[in-house]
Amino acid sequence: MDFDDTPDQARLRDAVRQFLVDHDSELAHGDGAYLEEPGTDRVEGLRRTQAILFDAGLIGLTWPKDYGGGGGTNAQQAVVNEELHRARVAGPIGHVGLGMCGPTVLGHGSEDQKQRYIRRLLRADDLWCQLFSEPGSGSDLAALRTKAVRHDDGWHIQGQKVWTTLAQHSRYGILLARTNPEAQKHRGLTMFVVDMESPGVTVRPLRQMNGHQSFNEVFLDDVVIDDSERLGDVDDGWRVALTTLMSERMAVGGGGGELGVRSDALVAHAASRLPQLSDDRRRLTIEALGRVLVESLAARYTGYRLQTSVERGGRPGPEASAGKLTAVRVAHATADLGQRLLGDEAVLARSVEGDWRWATSQASTPGIALAGGADEILRNILGERVLGLPPDSARVAPRPTPPSESR
Amino acid sequence: MNFDIDEEQRNFAEHARDFFSEQAGPGTARRLLDEAGDPAPGPRVLAELGFSSLTIPEIAGGVGAELLNMALVAEQAGRQLAGPSLATAARVAVLLEGDEGRLRDVSEGRTVIAVVDGSPAGSSPSMDALSATHFLALDGEDLLLGEGRVSPGEPIDATRGLGFVELTSSEVVCRDARERWERARQVACVVLAAEGLGAADRVVELGIEHARSRETFGRPIGAYQAVKHRLVDDWVAVNQLRSLVWWAAWAADHAPEQLPLAASAAKAYCATTFETACETLIHVLGGIGFTWEHDAHLYWRRAKVDRLLLGDESEHLAAVALQSISAATRAVSGETGTTEVVPV
Repeated sequence: MDFDDTPDQARLRDAVRQFLVDHDSELAHGDGAYLEEPGTDRVEGLRRTQAILFDAGLIGLTWPKDYGGGGGTNAQQAVVNEELHRARVAGPIGHVGLGMCGPTVLGHGSEDQKQRYIRRLLRADDLWCQLFSEPGSGSDLAALRTKAVRHDDGWHIQGQKVWTTLAQHSRYGILLARTNPEAQKHRGLTMFVVDMESPGVTVRPLRQMNGHQSFNEVFLDDVVIDDSERLGDVDDGWRVALTTLMSERMAVGGGGGELGVRSDALVAHAASRLPQLSDDRRRLTIEALGRVLVESLAARYTGYRLQTSVERGGRPGPEASAGKLTAVRVAHATADLGQRLLGDEAVLARSVEGDWRWATSQASTPGIALAGGADEILRNILGERVLGLPPDSARVAPRPTPPSESR
Repeated sequence: MNFDIDEEQRNFAEHARDFFSEQAGPGTARRLLDEAGDPAPGPRVLAELGFSSLTIPEIAGGVGAELLNMALVAEQAGRQLAGPSLATAARVAVLLEGDEGRLRDVSEGRTVIAVVDGSPAGSSPSMDALSATHFLALDGEDLLLGEGRVSPGEPIDATRGLGFVELTSSEVVCRDARERWERARQVACVVLAAEGLGAADRVVELGIEHARSRETFGRPIGAYQAVKHRLVDDWVAVNQLRSLVWWAAWAADHAPEQLPLAASAAKAYCATTFETACETLIHVLGGIGFTWEHDAHLYWRRAKVDRLLLGDESEHLAAVALQSISAATRAVSGETGTTEVVPV
């Protein structure tokens, strides 16, 4: 057991730290992942930030060199991430591409697709979205109804997706559609790359409870996709989707990273607010702060253990789902305590001094608890695939309702 | 970064697991509730095998291992509700640091030392007092070692050997011992949390076994999400507790400046995790779990007691908060050249 850098890692850390100091004014900053000031839309600034980081070799460090990656180790990427975190650099705007779509293209795409897509994805030249959930299938993803029918000119897509993060800014998406309505529901799906600028694609942003418009409805009306844009075999899309979903759960909280407002921001906030509280209030608040920090440390060090096993070549298994469960809980508790520390002003979305972080985060965490597998789905995965508990038979349905009968 | 134990440590833990499953177990914990006696495997066997002298240097007859190895053994001891606590052993090893003669007596089993919490003239209930021949206590800033009179109270968990201690003879073994006393207590917190980890792990395992096989309304109860999700939450918590225990144990030897925070984090997290796991187990077991014959209440007793020993959850949560704030304040003042202290 050893938390120290190797000499190589220490050199890398110094170089990254220096780079971030030198380029501080060009980079976008923030206090936590998925945390934006209400009303701001700084997509272009965030894209520029990701491009600067990519050009400096700080994004995609572990991705294959052939496609623009750094061919490095997870350990190196972890060092870089720590330094980005330390310098308060905003998380990459292309997080859906980096966390989910990119790994799926790398795992199941053709050589040509990898050559065309990956470098631009890493650099945020193209943003990507993930077209999975539908109005009628969220947690039960495999029940989805968007269909893809093969014609001479390619696959014709008809259907609707929803909760699609970044769709309004995305050039590409990975799309899961039903290619065989007769098959058992997990066996009739196929994955594609869809060009979001194709005719028939309509994107409508949805306003969320936190005031932002980060996710969308996507309507697919006879969108044509060339067969060369298929990812994996026909009717084998569920297996491809599992790559995406596991990458997602690892990306969201699995590696010990924090969601919402960072705990060091909470500590600094508490340090400035505590002297203003009455004695009895202060004692209670200190205990509450301790509870949040202990949960946060537990999640962080568990993430380190997972990172270690991934660094050794292990694949993130279903137990990575636990990381997201706990990261969400910490984000929730952090936001709640941060807001309460504002005292009388905690009833406002922005304090008199202009602090909007806690109110925004408390309105954002309910969404993180749903995205990428609701808490209950993750608990089912852990219970059944890690703990070996029996499945809930009510959930094992033979076949989805055919699309024609469903409207 | 490498945050995992190595192959040798894994084998060592495996060996300890076998030993404690043979030499200890909930059966002894149950028997001790009805008749007085030493917990299993008892102080002499633990000394003979070198488990209680793991962190005592070789020059003083100990094994000279790191605290992490002690934590790995403690986890296995905890699974079987073994006693006396290795937390006491680790605490004594710190308190007697540098005192080769007395440490050798401990390593070789000639003396069995417990640590007195509270006043040496009339202590609070102190761990492992019932099987001790000698006691260490803090009197002002002086560390005392002596013999004493022990009166047992009626125990919730009889394996902890709790007793009120009154020192009958004593000598000062170290002056200005406050810092060492605090550090010994932090080290003990880590080991106690490691014992809680092992016990909680076993408790979750028992719950899972039962939920797989017990059927109601024609299905195994583990198929119901209301049951499944409780067990999953406990399993997740145990896994997270393991991370905190390993980190804290590692810090004791490799990053001592992190030990106070890490020890309190592990101890506080253990308090909730172990207790919740026991309550889930009893509930999942149904009526069987409420019987004297089932082991569930023996683990539950341990959880109810351990959460309060060596400082309760509130104390350790506050310690984590205040240390984090003062570390952050130091970092800020280091950069700006000013010193700012948060009044508490």
